[in-house]
Amino acid sequence: MSVENAYRILFLGALIWFSFLLLITLIRAIIGPRVTDRILSINMICTMVISCTCILAYFLDEDYLFDVALLYALLSFITVLILSATYIPKNPTRRKFAPQKDPVVSTAADSRLEDGKEGAEE
Amino acid sequence: MIFEWIRFALCALCLITALVCFTAAVLGANRFGFIMNRVHAGGVGDTLGLFLVALSIILGDGFHMGELKLCFIIIFMWFTSPVSSHVLIQVEYFTNPHLYEHVKREDREALTEEDQ
Repeated sequence: MSVENAYRILFLGALIWFSFLLLITLIRAIIGPRVTDRILSINMICTMVISCTCILAYFLDEDYLFDVALLYALLSFITVLILSATYIPKNPTRRKFAPQKDPVVSTAADSRLEDGKEGAEE
Repeated sequence: MIFEWIRFALCALCLITALVCFTAAVLGANRFGFIMNRVHAGGVGDTLGLFLVALSIILGDGFHMGELKLCFIIIFMWFTSPVSSHVLIQVEYFTNPHLYEHVKREDREALTEEDQ
């Protein structure tokens, strides 16, 4: 077996394993009970897609795929920031730890959180 | 020829370690019970996993212009991934009404007295 063939098998196996991990993370993003689980899963999916793109850039010997990966990293960061900014209040203060029935900070997104909340009753 | 095989072995070692990191990240994000543990597990794949993938590609291909772009990707992800984790935890902090249940009992009592 030549070295080129060994590299080919190694990177192909890594890509197959990445696709398996991506599938698991996608399932987690679909069933994730809270909004943070979904955003975290999207972040992880983006990271794995960046890795896959870098491996493909080497595998196919196409340098422009590194640019695609860099843009994907930018998009992933902006996705997480904007999705999170929807839920973070404008003037954040220290959160009180006393047990309360309602969320401490009421944002417009709270009503959307009600569906996936685990153990909503106190 | 033997040096080629040594380089291949180093490349394979880095790539397999990266795959182990990503697998640990996915397992942690699925199995941990508390959101901060899950975000921490996800951050492992973001930083160490991507770095090891880049290192394996650089070992396999040599350092050219494309690999310089890869270094930019790594630097960018090392700056932005902790910010993403921080912002995610902030979302959890401000929206989860049951967050105090994960605080230790004596600490929770002290914090409750302080707040009331």
